[in-house]
Amino acid sequence: MLDIENLSVSYKSNRNTVHAIGPITMAIESGDIIAMIGPSGCGKSTFLHVLSGIIKEYDGLVTLNGTGLNPKLHDIGFIPQNFGLLPWKNVEKNCLLSLKIKNKIIDSELIEKIDYIMNRLNIQDLKNRYPKELSGGQKQRASIARAFIMNPDLLLMDEPFSALDAITREEAQELFIDVWNQYKPTTIFVTHSIEEAIYMGKKIVIMSHCPGTIVKTIDNPLFNTENLRQNEEYLKLSSHIRTIIKKGWEV
Amino acid sequence: MTYKVKIKLFLQGFIMINILWYILAILVNTRVLPTPIDVYLNLNSLYDNRLHIHILVSLYRVILGVGISLFLGVSIGLLMAYSKSWNKVLNPLVYFTYPIPKTALLPVAMLLFGLGDSSKVIIIVLILVFQVIIAVRDAVLNISQETYNPIRSLGASKIQIFRYITIPAILPAMLTNLRLSIGTALSILFFAEGYGTQLGIGYYILDAWTRIDYIGMYAGIVAISLFGFVLFVLIDILEEAVCKWKA
Ligand SMILES: Nc1ncnc2c1ncn2[C@@H]1O[C@H](COP(=O)(O)OP(=O)(O)OP(=O)(O)O)[C@@H](O)[C@H]1O
Ligand SMILES: [Mg+2]
Repeated sequence: MLDIENLSVSYKSNRNTVHAIGPITMAIESGDIIAMIGPSGCGKSTFLHVLSGIIKEYDGLVTLNGTGLNPKLHDIGFIPQNFGLLPWKNVEKNCLLSLKIKNKIIDSELIEKIDYIMNRLNIQDLKNRYPKELSGGQKQRASIARAFIMNPDLLLMDEPFSALDAITREEAQELFIDVWNQYKPTTIFVTHSIEEAIYMGKKIVIMSHCPGTIVKTIDNPLFNTENLRQNEEYLKLSSHIRTIIKKGWEV
Repeated sequence: MTYKVKIKLFLQGFIMINILWYILAILVNTRVLPTPIDVYLNLNSLYDNRLHIHILVSLYRVILGVGISLFLGVSIGLLMAYSKSWNKVLNPLVYFTYPIPKTALLPVAMLLFGLGDSSKVIIIVLILVFQVIIAVRDAVLNISQETYNPIRSLGASKIQIFRYITIPAILPAMLTNLRLSIGTALSILFFAEGYGTQLGIGYYILDAWTRIDYIGMYAGIVAISLFGFVLFVLIDILEEAVCKWKA
């Protein structure tokens, strides 16, 4: 359970203060997957940076499973837009980074899980390659593997599929949901695509202009449906969201 | 680069230099510039002149000078990169002293530290340490904040961040710097070994020069060139081992 109360963030520099996001209040059930959609610059990345412990100065309260959010206590999987692989570590070492930092003992059970996830994401053959030698889609799969291997309390993704071409993106989305359904970590992801939000979000959160606040939260009845794009309901929901966005994003 | 390419490059360079040298020697036609053939035929007499000992002594001075420079430079560079207040204190000092030609301080070093090895090593350190400081500080400051994000989200400690991000990120710049430092240290040897010593490759060349033993002088020059080249190859090997991800 992730509880966010009156969260708001400002960037302070010598000259001025930018109020980037908030106030935001929301509660996310364990095992939920939330799609966040909002105009550019409304503070989506900022929001994820707070939840991943990268931004430590903010107003409001964030608790995860009853204790104040802290990346040292909680296991947080964060997949940034550039996938965040360390260029000097090969795929295998990148995938094991979270376990190393957390000082986890790698026993046979864990090794089995690592192998399983790497196989599922089809990066077993890329183990010894460096990020420089990978395509965008391969980097992304390595990054997803790293996040799932650590068995996160909270999984955060910043526009995870936007760097991929249309076909690769659809495959990657399907694969992701497949693996997600198996472990069901509490997940928040940011997207620009209404289609992606409907396909992958149990709940869809629509944000306003900067400083971003929540315009509306929609329970998505179409989450986890196959052949989504042929579904009639899909067109209805998508135009519904579009109307909300048009209203909400007006300046 | 593969070793094959490197060896080819080396041979090409070696042959080109020698052809140019040969042509120049024929054209100028003076005892001051013997042909490479004369010099190479004379190389076997180098052993009798105990050239290897001169090389070892120079190597010792270079390693000591570069080692101390790296140790001091990396420590101070990291301090300046991580601490704003230290940077404020040290930056004017580094900025002001950087352009001063430190070889001009050689007499001072000699007066203060005598004619022995310490003044030679100190002058090497004086010349090298500032560029190491600046290179390290800038390399650390050039790591983008984004690079730290994934590891911060894992709750990494400062030491872990240093080990997993800072060190590997600045390593390529460090090796480039090591290369430059060794090149510079080798050329400083000529000043530093021109006084107060009977040993060292710099002394060997200067001594042959004053004895008008031109063949011996060129042999010394060839030896120091090969010596520098071997050090460069060693750094290449090191680079390939620790910066595989860059290739
Ligand atoms: N380091 C920073 N310093 C000052 N202001 C910043 C900083 N980072 C972001 N901002 C500002 O905060 C606001 C929110 O930025 P953020 O990156 O969170 O937006 P976003 O919703 O992720 O946008 P996009 O969809 O384009 O990625 C923007 O107005 C931005 O200009
Ligand atoms: Mg963003």
